[in-house]
Amino acid sequence: MPVAASAIYFLNLRGDVLINRLYRDDVGGNMVDAFRMHIMQTKELGTCPVRQIGGCSFFYMRISNVYIVIVVSSNANVACAFKFVVEAVALFKSYFGGAFDEDAIRNNFVLIYELLDEIMDFGYPQNLSPEILKLYITQEGVRSPFSSKPADKPVPNATLQVTGAVGWRREGLVYKKNEVFLDIVESVNLLMSSKGSVLRCDVTGKVLMKCFLSGMPDLKLGLNDKIGLEKESQLKSRPTKSGKTIELDDVTFHQCVNLTRFNSEKTVSFVPPDGEFELMKYRITEGVNLPFRVLPTIKELGRTRMEVNVKVKSVFGAKMFALGVVIKIPVPKQTAKTSFQVTSGKAKYNPSIDCLVWKIRKFPGQTEPTLSAEVELISTMTEKKSWTRPPIQMEFQVPMFTASGLRVRFLKVWEKSGYNTVEWVRYITKAGSYEIRC
Amino acid sequence: MAPPAQSQRSPSPSQPSGCVGMLTSEGDLGCGEMAKLVNCSFVFSATQTLGNADKNSDDSNSRNTNPHFGSNRKGEVSDLKMQLRQLAGSRAPGSDDTKRELFKKVISYMTIGIDVSSVFSEMVMCSATSDIVLKKMCYLYVGNYAKHNPDLALLTINFLQRDCKDEDPMIRGLALRSLCSLGVANLVEYLVGPLGSGLKDGSSYVRTIAAVGVLKLYHISASTCVDADFPALLKHLMLKDKDAQVVANCLTSLQEIWSLEASTSEEAAREREALLSKPVIYYFLNRIREFSEWAQCTILDLVSKYVPSDSDEIFDMMNLLEDRLQHANGAVVLATIKVFLHMTLSMTDVHQQVYERIKAPLLTLVSSGSPEQSYAVLSHLHLLVMRAPFIFSSDYKHFYCQYNEPFYVKKLKLEMLTSVANESNTYEIVQLRPKSLGSISVTELCEYVANVDIPMARESIRAVGKIALQQYDVNAIVDRLLQFLEMEKEHVTAETLVLVKDLLRKYPQWSQDCIAVVGNISSKNVQEPKAKAALIWMLGEYAQDMQDSPYILESLIENWDEENSAEVRLHLLTAVMKCFLRRPPETQKALGAALAAGVADFHQDVHDRALFYYRLLQYEVSVAERIVNPPKQAVSVFADTQNNEIKDRIFDEFNSLSVVYQKPSYMFTDKEHQGPFAFSEELGNLSISAEPADSVVAAQRVEENDQDLLLGTSEKEESQGSGNNGSAYSAPSYNTTGAAQPQLDLVSLDQLSTVHTSGSLAIDELLGLGMPAATEPSPAPLPSDLKLNAKASLDPKAFQQKWRQLPVSFSQEISIDPEGVAAMATPQALPQHMQSHSINCIASGGQAPNFKFFFFAQKAEESSSYLVECIINSSSCKVQLKIKADDQSTSQAFSEMFQSVLSKFTLP
Repeated sequence: MPVAASAIYFLNLRGDVLINRLYRDDVGGNMVDAFRMHIMQTKELGTCPVRQIGGCSFFYMRISNVYIVIVVSSNANVACAFKFVVEAVALFKSYFGGAFDEDAIRNNFVLIYELLDEIMDFGYPQNLSPEILKLYITQEGVRSPFSSKPADKPVPNATLQVTGAVGWRREGLVYKKNEVFLDIVESVNLLMSSKGSVLRCDVTGKVLMKCFLSGMPDLKLGLNDKIGLEKESQLKSRPTKSGKTIELDDVTFHQCVNLTRFNSEKTVSFVPPDGEFELMKYRITEGVNLPFRVLPTIKELGRTRMEVNVKVKSVFGAKMFALGVVIKIPVPKQTAKTSFQVTSGKAKYNPSIDCLVWKIRKFPGQTEPTLSAEVELISTMTEKKSWTRPPIQMEFQVPMFTASGLRVRFLKVWEKSGYNTVEWVRYITKAGSYEIRC
Repeated sequence: MAPPAQSQRSPSPSQPSGCVGMLTSEGDLGCGEMAKLVNCSFVFSATQTLGNADKNSDDSNSRNTNPHFGSNRKGEVSDLKMQLRQLAGSRAPGSDDTKRELFKKVISYMTIGIDVSSVFSEMVMCSATSDIVLKKMCYLYVGNYAKHNPDLALLTINFLQRDCKDEDPMIRGLALRSLCSLGVANLVEYLVGPLGSGLKDGSSYVRTIAAVGVLKLYHISASTCVDADFPALLKHLMLKDKDAQVVANCLTSLQEIWSLEASTSEEAAREREALLSKPVIYYFLNRIREFSEWAQCTILDLVSKYVPSDSDEIFDMMNLLEDRLQHANGAVVLATIKVFLHMTLSMTDVHQQVYERIKAPLLTLVSSGSPEQSYAVLSHLHLLVMRAPFIFSSDYKHFYCQYNEPFYVKKLKLEMLTSVANESNTYEIVQLRPKSLGSISVTELCEYVANVDIPMARESIRAVGKIALQQYDVNAIVDRLLQFLEMEKEHVTAETLVLVKDLLRKYPQWSQDCIAVVGNISSKNVQEPKAKAALIWMLGEYAQDMQDSPYILESLIENWDEENSAEVRLHLLTAVMKCFLRRPPETQKALGAALAAGVADFHQDVHDRALFYYRLLQYEVSVAERIVNPPKQAVSVFADTQNNEIKDRIFDEFNSLSVVYQKPSYMFTDKEHQGPFAFSEELGNLSISAEPADSVVAAQRVEENDQDLLLGTSEKEESQGSGNNGSAYSAPSYNTTGAAQPQLDLVSLDQLSTVHTSGSLAIDELLGLGMPAATEPSPAPLPSDLKLNAKASLDPKAFQQKWRQLPVSFSQEISIDPEGVAAMATPQALPQHMQSHSINCIASGGQAPNFKFFFFAQKAEESSSYLVECIINSSSCKVQLKIKADDQSTSQAFSEMFQSVLSKFTLP
C-alpha cells in the first residue's frame, strides 16, 4: 500500500484551510482541527514531520508559506507520501509558472482541485507527470482536445501504447532550432573542525537538462567517471586517456534513462522528456576539491572584547570567479559594537542572526582576502554563561568549476531525421552546508 | 529542490548563454496559459476583504458586481442561488463564463467551510454544460455534499449516469469517478451498471478510474461489490490489460479488497495468496519498468511478500531489480531495499552483501531532498544501523550533524552515531590501536553538547552516556562527562547528573572520581527533578565518601515544602535513611525532620515510604540496615527498551510508518489492534510481568531494598520512551534485580499484593493501608443480581491460559465520560476504581492516548471468572471492550455491570 492517504490539506501559516481534499471516509472532517490544536499551536511544530494524533498520522511539510498536510489512518509508506507532496508541488509550480505559495493557491484553487483529483484517486497516487497532465488538464474550458478525435485516448500513458516505452514524451514535437542545455550543478557539503581538519565532506551533484528537440531523439551522455571510462576502454580495447577520472559513490537517474544499458555498458542513454528535467543525481565523497579554505582565529580578550580574524582562500583556478560569496561569522548575542577591516568586499554586523556578514560579490581564484574585526560586548551579569561558538557558514557559487572534477566528455543526439543540434554545457558549484567550526 | 533551479536561472556573466533566455520565454508561456485564470480573478479572500472583492469582480463581469456583498453570508449564498437559477436554462453565449465565476464562488465558500448545500439543486441544474471545467467544479461540489444530503444526491445520479455515456472519455471518466465518490449507501444500485461498463471501456483512462471505483464501491457496500463479481473482473483486467496504470490500480484495489474480505471468506484468502503466486509475481516483475514510480512501489511491496523457491530464483530477482536502486524516487529505492532484505533474510552472507550494496543509495537519499524526505529515509537507515552497526561503522562521518539541520534529523543521526561508535570501538580495542574510533565520535558528540540548542545538547549527553555504558573502556568518556559538569550550564549539569548516576550503578569503581566532582555541585543549581533525584541518590549512596552529605541533605529537608516533585521527596527519604545508617550522629536530626515531613506528606507514596521507614526503624535497626543499605551489586545490563520480537516485527514492516514510530503497526493503528498477533503479543507481556508476581514476597523485599534503583530505571525508561517517539507500550524487560518492569508493575504489583494473602506482615499491612477499599465489600450497588467475589484471585499464568482458550463472548466499542478520560492522567486511578467494584486489574500499559488494561473478576459463589480486555483511547473517549467468560450465560450480565462501573469512573 503506497500511501492510501485519507486526506490532504493545504494550510496557511495561521492554520486557515486554503484547500482540502478528502479522499477517504476513514478520517473525520475535523482532522485539520486536530492538526491545528496538537501541532500548529504547540511547540511540536517543526520537531517532527510525522505525528500521530488519535488514530491518525499526520505528515506535514512546509513549503514557502504553506503547510501541506497528509492524513492517513493506515500504516502508510512515509517516504512515498513525502515524495508525493514534493512531486505535487513541482507539478503545481510547473502549472503556475513559478512560485508556489499562499497567493498562488488562492489564485488557482480550481486548477488545484482539478489536479488533486487527477494525481490521487482514493488515496493512491496516480499520474504526476506534468508533461502528460498538461495534455488534458487545461483551464481552457473547451472540451478536451481529444473529443474532436475520439480515436486518441486521453490516457496518462497514451503514448506508451503507441511507442511502446516512452511515457514521458509526446510524439510529433517540432522545434525550428534544436537545442540542448545541460547544467551540472554541484553542492559541496563541508564540516571542518576548528583545527582545520576535514571532518566530513561530500558533493551532491545534479545533471539538469533542458531539451528543445524535435521528434524522438536518442541521447547519449559521456562523463569522465571512472566506471564508464574503464568500460569504454575495455570495449574499444584501448587504454584510457590520461586525465582525471571520477569515482561516483552513487548515481540515480531520471526514469527516461535506460538503466539496463547503464548497468551493462555504463553509458547514459535516454529519450529525454520535452523541456526541463533532472537527468541524474550523484554523490561523491572521495577526492573533492574544496573551492575555499577558511582560516579563522577568534580571540576572546577579557569579558567585553573579542578579536576576529578570518582569512578565506580560494583554491580554484586564477581565471575563475566565485559569485555571491557570503561568509557568516557568528558573534555573541550581547555584541554592542563592531569595527571591521576587510581587504575585499563589504562586511557588517547583522544583529538578527548574531553574525558578522561578509559579502564578496566577485571573488577571483587564488586570492586570499582577510577580515579583521573587533567586537565589543556588553558586559552582563550572567557572566558564567560562556558563549558556545556556532560554526562559520559560507555561501558561494563558482561557475565553470566542479568540486568533484566531473566533466562532460560528449553529448550525442541522434534522431532519425538527422537534424543538427546545438549543445550548451554549464558547470556550477555551490555551497551546500559549508561549515567551519571555530 | 528550489535552490538549484533558481541558481540555474540566475544568469552567469561568464556564460550569458541562451539558457537564460529560453527560461524566461518558457516562463512567459506558462504565464500566458495562466493569464485567463488570473484575469478572471475571483479573489478568494473576498470573504475576508470585502472591499477588494467588489473591485476585482468589476472588470470581469458586470453581473457579478454585487451591491449587497457586504451583507451577511446567508445573503450571499441566497444571492448566488438566485443568480444560478437565472442562468440554469440559459444557453446564451458567454453564460458559461458567468457560470464559472459563480461556481468558483460556491467552491471557495465550500473550502473555507461555509455551508452552501442550499444551492444544490441549482448547481445540478447548471451542470448541463459542455464546459469541462464547469463540470469538474460541479462534480467536486456534488461529491462534497452528497454524503450529508442523500436525497439531493439522487438528483445528481441522473446527470452523472448520462455523463458516463458521453462520447468524450475524459467526461466518462470524471463522471464515473464522481459517481463512485458520492459514498451514499442507498445509491449503490446505480453504480453497478456504469462501473461494469467502465471496466470494459475502450479508453484506458476510464478503466483506471473504474478500477479504483470498484474499491470505492467495496467500501460503501462490500456485498454489492462482491455480488456483482467485480473482484474477478478486476483480476482479469489486471492480468490482461495493456495499460500499466490500469493494471496497477487493479492490483491496489484487489489487494485492499481481498485482505479485508479474507477474514470472512476463505475464497478471498485464497485469492490473496494467489496474488503472491509465482506467475503473478513474474508477470509484474517483467513489466515493472512500464509502471509509474508509484505503481512500482505497490508492486515491489507485493514482491517483498513473495517467497522464492530457491537461491537461484532470489539472485535472478535481485539482478532484475538491481537497477531500481538507482531510481530517482526514494520510495522506489526503499521498496526495492525491502525486497532485497526480506528475500535474503535466511542467507546470512548474501544478506550482509545486500547491506553493503544498499548503503550507497541510502546515504544518497539521506543527503538529498527536503529534510522531511531525508527524515523518512533516515528512520529506515536508523533501523538498519541498529540491526547491523558494524556494517555502517566506517560511514560514521555521514551521521555527523549539520548545524542547521532540524532537530528530528539530528536526533536520529546522534542515535546512529552512538550505536556505530560503540561497535567499532570495541573492535578497535581488540586491535589495540592508539586512537579509537569511538573517542572520535565522542569528541564529535562533545561538540554538540556545547550546542546552543538545549534539546540537542541533552541528546548528545545521553549519547555520550550510552557509549560509556556500553563499553569496557570508559576512562576517557567518564572524564568527558565530568567535564560537562564543569561547564556550569544548568541543562548540561542536569542531564549529566542523571548519567553519572547510571554510570555509577554500572561501574561502582568510578565512584571516587565522580564523587569528587559531584560533591562540588551546589544542590541549589540543580532544579530539574530528575537531576535533583540523581544528585540526592548519590548523596545517600556515597554518604561515607562525601564529607558534607548529611548537611546538604539537611538543608534540602528544610526546604521540604518547596519541593514539588514527589520523586525528589521519595529519593530524599531514602537518601537520608541511608545516610543515617552510615553516619547516625550527624544525620539523626535530618532523619527525624524528614520522617515527620514525610508522614505528613499529602502524596500517598511519600507518606507510605516515610511510615514504612519509621516502622522499620522501630522494629529493628539491623533489619533496616539490611533492607535500606544492602551491599550494592553493579548493574550489568540496563533494561532494553524493545525486545527482539518487536524489533523483528518492525523490520517486517520496513518501508512503512512502523519504522518512523519505531513500533509495530498494531500498536498505533486501531483497526489492526484486534488482530491475532496483537493479542499474542500482549500475552507475551503478561507472562513476563507475571514472574515477579509469583515470587512477590521475595521480590518486594528486594524491591524495597532497591526501590531507588528501581525508580532510577523507571526514569531511564521514561526518558528513553519519550526519546523513541513515545513507544506506547513499553516493552517488557527483565531487570537483574528481579524487580518487575516498572510501568506494568505500578498497577499489577499493588494489585497482586492484595490478592496474595501470605507474605511479610509489615509490608502487607503497609501496602494494605494504601488501599482500604480493596478488602471492603463493594460499596456501589450492582445493576444486576450478579455478585462478584471481592477477594478474587487469579494468577497471571492462569489468566493467560484462559484468555487463550475462551471465545470472545462480548465485544463492543463504547464511549466513556470525558471526565473519566481526564482521570486517566493517573494510570492507577482506573484499576483502583474498578477494584472497588471487585474487578481486578491484572496488567496494564500504554501511554496517552491509548491505554490498555486486562481485568478479571470472579463470581461470588463459584470459581467462574470473567476476563476483560479494555482499550481506552483518551483522545476519542472510546473504549473497546472484549469480554471472555467461563460461564457464557452470565457474560451479558457481567458486561452490563462492567460498563456501568466503567461509566461511573470520573475524576475523584
